[in-house]
Amino acid sequence: MQSLWLLTKKNIKLLLRAKSSALIVFLAPLLTILILGLSYSTSSQYGINVGIYAPAYTDDVNAFMESLQQQDFKVVKYTSTLEECIEDIKVSAIHTCISLPESFMVEGNTPKEVTFYIDPSRINLVWMIQETVKNEFNLKSQEISQSLAQDVLTKLSDAKIQIGERRNEAGAIKEKSSSAASSVSSAQSSLQSIDVTAPESSYDLTILNTTSVDIREALDSIIAAVGTVEDANMSDSDKSNIIFSLEGAQEKLDGVLIAVNGTGAGTLPALLLALQNDVDVAKAKLTAAGEAISSSSSTISSAGTTLQEMVTALDALQTSLSSVQANLESQRVTDPATLTNPLVTRVEKVSKEGTFLNYTFPTLLVLVIMFTSLLLGTILVMMEKNSPAFLRNFFLPLKKTTFIISTYLTNLLFIIVQIIIILGISLFFLEDLLPVLPAIALVLFIAASIFTFLGMAIGYLFTSEETGVLASISMGSLLLFISGVVLPIETISPWLREVTSFNPFVIAEKLIRELFIFQSSLLDVGVELLILVGYAVALFIIILIIESLLHQHLVHKFMKIHHKANLQREQRNKGEW
Amino acid sequence: MRKTFIKRESLASSVGLIELKGVTKEFGKRKVLEDVNIIIEEGDIFGVIGESGSGKTTLLNLVTGFIEPSEGETLYHSKVTQGPENLNANLPKLKKFIGFAPQHNSFYPKLTVKENLLHFGQLYGVKREVLINNIKNLLQIMSLYDERDKLAEHLSGGMQKRLDISCSLVHKPKLLVLDEPTADLDPLLQKEILWLLQEVNKQGVTVVLASHHLDSIEHVCNKVAIVHKGRIRNYGLIDEVKKPFLKDYFTINLRPGDSKDKVLAVLKTLPVKRIVDEGNRLVIYPNDTQKTVNGLLNFIKQESLYLHDMDMRKPSLNEIFERIASE
Repeated sequence: MQSLWLLTKKNIKLLLRAKSSALIVFLAPLLTILILGLSYSTSSQYGINVGIYAPAYTDDVNAFMESLQQQDFKVVKYTSTLEECIEDIKVSAIHTCISLPESFMVEGNTPKEVTFYIDPSRINLVWMIQETVKNEFNLKSQEISQSLAQDVLTKLSDAKIQIGERRNEAGAIKEKSSSAASSVSSAQSSLQSIDVTAPESSYDLTILNTTSVDIREALDSIIAAVGTVEDANMSDSDKSNIIFSLEGAQEKLDGVLIAVNGTGAGTLPALLLALQNDVDVAKAKLTAAGEAISSSSSTISSAGTTLQEMVTALDALQTSLSSVQANLESQRVTDPATLTNPLVTRVEKVSKEGTFLNYTFPTLLVLVIMFTSLLLGTILVMMEKNSPAFLRNFFLPLKKTTFIISTYLTNLLFIIVQIIIILGISLFFLEDLLPVLPAIALVLFIAASIFTFLGMAIGYLFTSEETGVLASISMGSLLLFISGVVLPIETISPWLREVTSFNPFVIAEKLIRELFIFQSSLLDVGVELLILVGYAVALFIIILIIESLLHQHLVHKFMKIHHKANLQREQRNKGEW
Repeated sequence: MRKTFIKRESLASSVGLIELKGVTKEFGKRKVLEDVNIIIEEGDIFGVIGESGSGKTTLLNLVTGFIEPSEGETLYHSKVTQGPENLNANLPKLKKFIGFAPQHNSFYPKLTVKENLLHFGQLYGVKREVLINNIKNLLQIMSLYDERDKLAEHLSGGMQKRLDISCSLVHKPKLLVLDEPTADLDPLLQKEILWLLQEVNKQGVTVVLASHHLDSIEHVCNKVAIVHKGRIRNYGLIDEVKKPFLKDYFTINLRPGDSKDKVLAVLKTLPVKRIVDEGNRLVIYPNDTQKTVNGLLNFIKQESLYLHDMDMRKPSLNEIFERIASE
């Protein structure tokens, strides 16, 4: 147990006394947590640049842009063409382009369409963009939906008020109808009460027939007698006939006389009396009927007036209902789907559909090159520094730059072989790679130069190979961490986001993505390319400075080591002196 | 091949090759060397001795131009320019005239002997044909020819040291500076290396070396500089350096039983200032060394006495150094 403790104590001492190890052991976690803290200790909105294109910048569009800006989105307005906006996604000037309609006002059952243009190659950002920006649209959609629902409700409310108002009128109409019905009913009763039944007495009209026949016969007899008389030359028989006829007429007429003058039944006076009675009855009835009719006429007239009023009221009611109907009909959005979701978002990809390999290829490529170059650069410098021949190099008639460039070229040779292998193999999977192969190779060459110089600088700064390699891996991890590969850059704090935009990993990856996925030309990415070259040159100068400082350091170190070795030897060989 | 040392005084010319003129070197506030004035002449085998931390390596580094003096200047007397040139100011041009073998081997262990020599030779800008010849000669001289295709790391310690010196010589420098060339080597290898240095010197290369093995320095070098506490205490031809330290006595060791009394008696007849009797060892301070020694030897011969040992040596560098160091 004691030996275990002693060994552990020794290890701790050795670690702490090796300055670079102690530095790494204590500073690395501190630095990492510091960077993490600074990176993600933010609650601000993602740093997403949103391009907006609309055929016209109406109040709706401007208001939406303003709301995006209030949410910390950086909004870029495109006025010329949608293509310009899309092109800017390809060069990563913006993260998404949103094509908006002129107005968000939904006027029919067709919802308004909003189109998102996104770069599918930024896999880890695509969903974030959709989520965050779409949230804004969801809010807007909700707002419009509420407005539409409010319209419907307002119209319903208006209809309700109008109907409520008209309900009293309908009540009045109902009362009037009731009154008119009552009047009509009264008139009906009155009219029904009119007795129009004729007296049912049967009159014996035989007398009249008889009298009539008798009179006819008397008249015929008379006519015959008149004829005979006219024929004067009549015989006795004629005379008898005339006499007989006349007598017959006489008898008949006597009978008529009796019938007319008699008082008993079957006589004309009796008949006439009976008729008179009946006429009286009928007369009374007609009088009553007349009164009833007069009364009914008045009632009906009143009912007519009421009905006229009702017609007017119904007209007003009809107008009112027409108004309500028109109001309700003015609600054009009737589709529940449109009502609840008036804004429809559509996602368009700005590059042609590819596999995940297409999208991740630029990242993978730069990742491999970065780590290889960093480590190789560090190891090569370390190898040279720790080589027994290192000191001899200072006595060679060569410039410092020659050594640095030779290390760089060695590194580059290895990297070029790697690039050839990687790109060669990639050609089997990525058919589109061939046309842009030279351009990608150029970018990789420059990126490899930067990371090599970076690795070399680390190599010059650190003493032991282990710490150098560790520092190199840490540097690679740091660059990777703030590259947007692990977590989107857009999620880190704004100031660090600015810093990461200068990350050579980010620039190189962006360049290859533009070249490979969007088939851009080298001219299109000239600025970024120049930045990378600038980095390489700057790092080369830094290495020169480090190397120059290192020379002094080396002299001191050399003297120190030499002095120590001599002291040890002196102690060892004390007897010889 | 028998390897014997010969004094190289005859090879030294009066032409200065490297001159340190009023050189002071400070590291920070620490003054490592102060007011150094030495001239290393062409053909010299120049030894630098001193305690650890006395400034030896700094002196060598000044000679090679590896470091610049804080004060004064290091001059290289170039035949090309017919005049002294400031070494540090013209270092890129003058580097090819200097070869340096640091204390620890300085070559690539993963390269073969030939590859190492070719590599450094080519970097010195030696033409390929010339270089091939140089390498062949070096391999022969250094007895590395049969090992030429071996990886340097697979060589023995002595071979590695020889390769290291070869790497310093591959471009045929005028001046070869070696820092502790025999350190950590066994006596045989030390001897071999020193013999090689003499061979190199014979070929016209001025050699400057620092070593703790003062006997070796004394055997090989014609000139020496003793550095003590940052100053050059003694500098010049070895005999001149020794002069102030010459002994005024000699000793004789007698075997027990030999007639010490007879010896003492005869010594009293000779010009002797003082005799110190240390038992079997007598320390004699003569007035005239030659007469005393001759008289003593004649007496011993006549009496057939046995003289076990007689020490008349000049002081060794070791002794001189010890004396200086103890001051």
